[in-house]
Order: sequence, then structure tokens, then C-alpha cells
Amino acid sequence: MAVMEFRKFLRDLFEGEHRKRILSSPLTYQLVERALKLARGSFPSQASYMMARFALAQTGRAFSRRVPVVWTSAFFPVEIVWGLNLCPFSPEVAAAFLASLGFAEEALDRAEQAGYSRDLCSFHRLIAGAALLGYLPPPAALVASTHLCDGAPLLFQNLAAFFRVPFHVLDVPYRADRDAEAYVAEQLAELWRALADLAERKPEPAGLAEAIQNSNRFRANLLEVNELRCRVPAPVRGSEMLNYLYLFFAGQGSREAAEVFACLAREIGRGEREGKKEERFRILWLHLKPFYKGELMDFIENKSGAVLAFEEMSHVYWPPLSPGDPFPSLARKVLSHFCYKPLEARTATVKMLAEKYRVDGIVHFSHWGCRQSVGGSLMLKDALQRAGWPVLLLDGDCLDARNEATGGILTRVQAFLEILAERKNFRVGERHDHCRN
Amino acid sequence: MITAGIDVGSLTTEAVLLQDREILAYSIVKTGSRARLAAEQAFEEVLEKAKIKFSDVSFVVATGYGRMGVPFASRQVTEITCHGRGAAFLSPRVRTVIDIGGQDSKVIRLDEQGNVVDFLMNDKCAAGTGRFLEVMAQALELPVTALGEAEREARRAAEISSMCTVFAESEVVSLIAQGVPRAEIIRGLHRAVAARTTALVSRLGLVPEVMMTGGVAKNPGVVSALSEKLGVEIFVPPEPQIVGALGAALLAR
Ligand code: SF4
Repeated sequence: MAVMEFRKFLRDLFEGEHRKRILSSPLTYQLVERALKLARGSFPSQASYMMARFALAQTGRAFSRRVPVVWTSAFFPVEIVWGLNLCPFSPEVAAAFLASLGFAEEALDRAEQAGYSRDLCSFHRLIAGAALLGYLPPPAALVASTHLCDGAPLLFQNLAAFFRVPFHVLDVPYRADRDAEAYVAEQLAELWRALADLAERKPEPAGLAEAIQNSNRFRANLLEVNELRCRVPAPVRGSEMLNYLYLFFAGQGSREAAEVFACLAREIGRGEREGKKEERFRILWLHLKPFYKGELMDFIENKSGAVLAFEEMSHVYWPPLSPGDPFPSLARKVLSHFCYKPLEARTATVKMLAEKYRVDGIVHFSHWGCRQSVGGSLMLKDALQRAGWPVLLLDGDCLDARNEATGGILTRVQAFLEILAERKNFRVGERHDHCRN
Repeated sequence: MITAGIDVGSLTTEAVLLQDREILAYSIVKTGSRARLAAEQAFEEVLEKAKIKFSDVSFVVATGYGRMGVPFASRQVTEITCHGRGAAFLSPRVRTVIDIGGQDSKVIRLDEQGNVVDFLMNDKCAAGTGRFLEVMAQALELPVTALGEAEREARRAAEISSMCTVFAESEVVSLIAQGVPRAEIIRGLHRAVAARTTALVSRLGLVPEVMMTGGVAKNPGVVSALSEKLGVEIFVPPEPQIVGALGAALLAR
């Protein structure tokens, strides 16, 4: 069973009027796991297979009701949840998954009917709609961090009221000094104890230390992958890395997430990952990508001769964690995000990555409604252009295909690639089919 | 060597024939519902005007939103690159190209060599495009080509508060009913288009010299409203509608 067929299998499985029953049954995930094993050989790599298996197993676990499920927002330090052996659930990733199967519209419509404005980020709208439709595993608690994504705490608070479960917020100050670190660390310690109550047991420091070690392995393995990705042609495409969203948002602290990147590093190291034969343009990609089945990513990576050499999401920005001092080190991790600082920090990081990965241009995928990533994008573009990088701000939507005009978005990308072509003295406007490989 | 550029836009399709950097002939036809037929028609017309055969043309480049549907083109290049190239050819000092077409508007930044270095494109909304003016002209019972001339008698501009094509149309209808002179309504509409375009230009940054291309550039009312709003002189080439096709013909090698 090929990967595309596997996705079709999932689509067919969840299609129809019994979607809620099928999506929320743990049996479904046992069946899916079997189908996944059959499809194993046709995944582009062992790493991507491992990642799919891990995410599906955890989703099945979340629906099993045997263990308290904790919904965590995208940037929350999920090590805390792994450290208590609870089941973390990332609704943002679930939203991306539903969109990839083509089920976004139903949930988005449901959210709109419930009063969620269309101006909101579609991740949040889709989560709200899917929750109301009963497509997501009921949480025992929700935790959201205030840093970066300012919509998440508000949404989670709403959903906590809907599910009648506790909501915890991690309040992250917009400065990274000692006081801020102590303040965040203290909240994390408190949260850890509060979440332990869900399982009605005493929190074990050893469990947390193990999660911290796993998170450090995740970090080290990702660093190794990132170093190997300096190779030209690019051994891993950015669109594949952006599919590892689950690991970034929900996996840090688990053994499995660390193993996926260890496997990926091995695959690259052994030369099992071949780059594109013709790599005309190397692109640094900022923010996320469309997860629904559209033409944009296929065009960029399969037809245009361009490759996403690296993406902002994969950058390791945080220092190693300390198993003996978990809360302050997790606080440092949270506070060190380069996007949660004055814009100069993001600019400097992007410049560093652009140089390191020897890219020809930078594309900022400006996801509709995401204030944290889009807010400063004009100034970011300006600063990067002044430093000599061609930049494209590409307006689009990661989940809501209705927010995208395919013709217009492809024209923008093509025009941008034409700018890069002129800079490299290529003939402008080739027929693109010859670039397929 | 003779080359051709075909620009298949949403409302009109243009063809330009070029020989040794001299324009031999050009044609403009309505696109209609089938881009391919429009491209063929424009091409046949331009060949006829220049009295040459298809086989005399060495290369054809297609551009515009319908560029993929031109089977006889050897390459496709986006309208952004083509407008930039065409504008730089017509006036090498141009750094900002404002192109307002039938259904979208673009602002293009050129460097000293005439290469495109940045651009912005609005294709999400008809506000401020040729289509907007066409709908308003219908409400005013005028051909769209007469708007520029009809504005001349205006002593002031009527206030048009909505930029949404649908709402602006009903605003125009109610202004007519209130007895506001047509010329003043038209001036108001031209100012509204200029305001919308200025917002796009400001996002990219205004660098003179400025050239305006596309069908809307033929409307002197819009050009002067825009020039006033931006505070710069705007250069309009003799046939602003063919700049994209001209750029395509220049790139046809
Ligand atoms: S895209 Fe932006 S607003 Fe939406 S969930 Fe992610 S960080 Fe939050």
C-alpha cells in the first residue's frame, strides 16, 4: 500500500455519516496500525513511517480513555506531560491531520456556526469545530502557553468550559531575564503537580528526569539531522520535515520522537536520502505550510526545480535541558524562542539559517490569522532584503483551502523563482515539467 | 529574429511581435471564456498586421493568467517578470511599475538593470481593478472607456466610502438618485481606485520613476488621481495594455 493509498484508506475509513464514531473508537486505531504495517515499505523512509506509527498509536491511546489526556498548545513544554506518563494531545496537529484528509471544511463551518470569526487562525477554528463535532479525544485538562500563539489560551479556555475540565495557563513574560525564568519555572512546577492530580498519584521526579533526557536526545538528534542537511543537494525536503509537526508540538520528552530523528540522521548519514538531481533554487521556508491537498507544495518541490533546503521550524534554538534542574531549564527553553523576542532576534536567526543552508531566497508562508508569525513580516522582509536576500511573503492558509486562490499563489511563487533565476543568470520561465524527478 | 509575446489576461489578450527590439505590430482582443482561442486570435491578428507567417516567428513566450493554455508558446513567464521587462525596455529609469489589469493589480520594483527585485499582487478582491470600474461604468450607463473623459467636468469628488464592488455599485446608484452630478461620482470612483492602489504601492515602497501599465492606465482620471495621491509624476506609455506582451516578446529567445 503506497503512502497516497494509505491516506486514501484513512480518508475512506473516516468518510461518511459515522465519522464521529469511527474517529473516536480506539479499535479504529488498531485497525489503522495494521494497515500502516502493510504500507510500511512504501513510506518514503523508515523515519516517516516511525513518525506516522507513533502519532497514530498516541491518538489511539488518547481515545482509549485509559489514561488522562492533556491537550497542550503548540509551544507548551510538553515534557511535563510525558514526565507524568499522561497522554499529550496536540489539537493543532489533529487539525492539520483532518485538513490533510480533506475534512477541514466541515469543522471550519461548524466553528463559524458557533460564532468563531473567520478572521481567526484556521488551526483554532478547526480545533473548535472538530471539538464541537466530537472528533477529538475528550481532555482531562487543557494547558496553553501565552508565548508566541496568543490565540491558544483563549481558545483553550473556551474549550475547557465546553468540556467542563480544568484549564491551566503558562504565563510567559516577554523578557528573558532571571526573574522571568524563576516565574516560569515556578508555574511549571505547580502545573506538574496539578497535572499529576489527574492521574491521582504523586508526581515522580524520576519520570520527569527521563522525559528531560528524552527531550535532550530529541534535541541532539535533530541537531545532527540539521547538520547533515547542510549537504547539497538537500537530503531531506522541507515539506517532509514540516510533516513532523507532531514531534515538534507533542513529541518532545518521548522516547519515540527522539528515535525518529535518530533514524532520519542514520538514513541521511548512510546516503539513503538522495537529493534532487537538479536543485535550481534552494529556499529557506518560514512558518508552516498548507496541509490540505493543494498544488502549492507539489509545484514547488516537484515541478519548479526548487527545494526547501531548510525551514524555520526545525531550528534548534534552545539550550540543552538539565535533568537535575528540570523546571528552570524548561523555563529557559520556553523563554529562548527567537520569535518571542524583538524582531531583530528572528531576523538574525533567519539570516544565519539562510547563510548556513546556502539558500537563494526566503519564503515566508504568511498563514491567515497568525499574528505571531505574520505580524512583523513586512519589517522582517525589509531587513532581509537589505541584507541582500530575495524574500517572498506568500499569503495563504495552512488548513482553510477557501482562503487560497491557487492561480494567484502559484503565480507569486513562479514570479519569485523568476527573480531568483535572473539572479543566477538562468533563462527565465522554463517549461517546468523537465524538473520532475 | 522575430519573436512574439502573448499576454492572456482575464479580460483582454494582447500579442506583440518584435524584430530587433522594434515593435512590428500588436493586437488586443477580448479574452472571453476560452484563453486558448483568444491567444490564437490575437496571434493571428498580429501576424496579419505585420504580414508575416507563423513560421517566421522564432520564439513565442506566453504570459498572463492564461499563459499555460497557449499551446504554441515555447515558454511561459509570469506577468510580473514580463511587465517589469516591458516597462524597463520602454523607459530604463523606471523603478516602480503599477499595473492595474482587469481583475488584479500589481506593483513591481525594478533595479537599475531593469530586473524585477520585488513585487506585490492583489488578486483577492476586485476593488481597485478594471473590473471595479467596469461595474461602476455600467451603473452610470457609460462605456468604461468614457470614464476618463466624463470626469473632466467635475468640480469636486463625490465621497465613495465602500471599496467593495458590490456595495460601491449601490452607493453609486443612490448618488445618482440624489442628483449628484455624474462627473463628480466618477471623480470619487477614480479617487477610490487611487487610494486602494496607493495602499499597495506604500507596502512595497515608492521609488520613482513610476510607470503605470494595464488597461486602467488608459483612464487619465485614475492616473491623475493616483499621481496626486502618491505625489509623483506617473509615466504612461503610448499603449499601456501591451507592456506584458512586449516583455514576453523580449524574453522570447
Ligand atoms: S498558526 Fe499562529 S495563530 Fe495559528 S496556532 Fe499556530 S501560532 Fe497560533
